[in-house]
Amino acid sequence: MRMSLVLELQDVPGQLVAALEPIASVGANIVTIIHERDVKTGALVPVQVTIEGDKETLDLAIKKLTEKGIRIIEKDGIPLKEKVNAILVGKISEEELKGIVDNINNLEGVKVADLSLKMSTTSSTIKVTMEAEHNSLGLLEDKIHKIGVEHRLLVITET
Amino acid sequence: MRISIVGFGAVGQGVAKAIRSTQERLRRKYNLKIDIVAAADSKGAAIQEDGLDPQKLIKVKTEKGSVAYYPDHGHEDMDSLQVLDEVEYDCLVEVTPTNIITGEPGKSLITKAIEDGKDVVTSNKGHLSLFYKELVGLAKEHDVNFKFEASVGGAMPIINFAQETLPSSRIESIIGILNGTTNFILSRMTAEGSSYEQTLKEAQELGIAETDPTQDVEGLDAACKSVILANAVLGRECTLDDVEVTGITKITPEAIELAKEDGYHIKLIAEISHEILRVGPRLVKDTSPYAVDGTLNMATLRTDLAGEITVIGKGAGSLETASAILTDIINIWKSKH
Ligand SMILES: NC(=O)c1ccc[n+]([C@@H]2O[C@H](COP(=O)([O-])OP(=O)(O)OC[C@H]3O[C@@H](n4cnc5c(N)ncnc54)[C@H](OP(=O)(O)O)[C@@H]3O)[C@@H](O)[C@H]2O)c1
Repeated sequence: MRMSLVLELQDVPGQLVAALEPIASVGANIVTIIHERDVKTGALVPVQVTIEGDKETLDLAIKKLTEKGIRIIEKDGIPLKEKVNAILVGKISEEELKGIVDNINNLEGVKVADLSLKMSTTSSTIKVTMEAEHNSLGLLEDKIHKIGVEHRLLVITET
Repeated sequence: MRISIVGFGAVGQGVAKAIRSTQERLRRKYNLKIDIVAAADSKGAAIQEDGLDPQKLIKVKTEKGSVAYYPDHGHEDMDSLQVLDEVEYDCLVEVTPTNIITGEPGKSLITKAIEDGKDVVTSNKGHLSLFYKELVGLAKEHDVNFKFEASVGGAMPIINFAQETLPSSRIESIIGILNGTTNFILSRMTAEGSSYEQTLKEAQELGIAETDPTQDVEGLDAACKSVILANAVLGRECTLDDVEVTGITKITPEAIELAKEDGYHIKLIAEISHEILRVGPRLVKDTSPYAVDGTLNMATLRTDLAGEITVIGKGAGSLETASAILTDIINIWKSKH
């Protein structure tokens, strides 16, 4: 069987070879490689690779890639989701919080997966765990910071 | 090499101490003899053409409150700009307080020294974060050395490191912890579960936070350093006004606890890239290079050829900061001999 993956690589010489090595090492065939240099985001470039082998071999290839810290952003045309956390601190009512969650859920490719809330006498602290498709991440970060400004909340996101 | 030290607080005295303790080695290794021909503080100056005694300077400063009481060579009330006219020197060591409104008195001192054709070494970040382009341009115009390694990260090598050790690589970004006081406070809050207010008080009692901690806790100190790195390492033209700054005063113990549940620490992170210039609290994985505790500073440089490189070191302290200043002095000497 065949499988198509989009990997996100650093735009540095040697990175592609390093990413292909684990695929070859488990015995999967590399059918095509498309280097999408023109859709470069910062120092990162997406590379599409189609690989071939039996199911076990392909699973093993994915495991090896993940172990090596290589980010797979798409599998057979379906974007893989990532977990992202943000912490909000400030005075916030239940209604406002509902509005914020709706606001985030309305973003394409983003869903709020979990909320934890801790109250103290002076302020509330909320942890929002979201699942986001890879290409929504930038948008999400902007959105969360805008929400912070709107609601006068301190927003702490991941580096 | 004849130096004039203007500002004789923690860093100025550290420089005097470091010069004294490295005297023999510098002479042997680099054939360099450093004479402190002038030292000045806010109350006056001491001037001696064949060199003041570093130990005596520190003693007079500690016991009487000003270098102006240095026996036979003290000048009460002498303005430090005037000091620069009173004595022949090669390099100004400018270590007056950081002023983020006007950059003074450092800006005028540096400007005068450069226009007089002298080399300058500073640890001050005020003038640099307001007038970087102007000051560096002036130094180029007058063909003098102007070095400021100590202004970012104290003893942690970063500016010279990026400029001189990594010239082959383009630096894409620098992400790091550039303020020791806030890192101490956040580390303690993480370890103890204590409140921000309580922990700030503890830091003040330990002498880690200042009586007026505003510049540290509001992120301004880290913002100044970010501006210096953006200009010096990334070649961006920017000033303090261009930094998006959020401090740590609103961070709750609950936020730290919620972060911990998922293996995160909260750190005051400076992010400097060709597009971004911001300082604010962020979540960092406790296994990442950003999970550095106490008063330490760190920075990860992302480069095109060399990948990521991380430096860690003491971001403040009298002798630690003086070590960076002395390195700049030695490098100026080496470039000429
Ligand atoms: N401390 C650190 O660990 C560290 C680390 C990195 C960078 N820095 C930077 O290094 C600089 C010095 O720091 P510091 O800790 O040594 O500060 P400090 O202990 O407050 O010392 C400042 C010195 O400047 C003198 N001064 C003030 N106004 C003056 C004037 N108009 N003319 C001449 N001297 C004047 C003060 O005089 P009096 O003694 O008479 O008050 C004092 O001796 C600051 O810009 C700081 O941001 C410090």
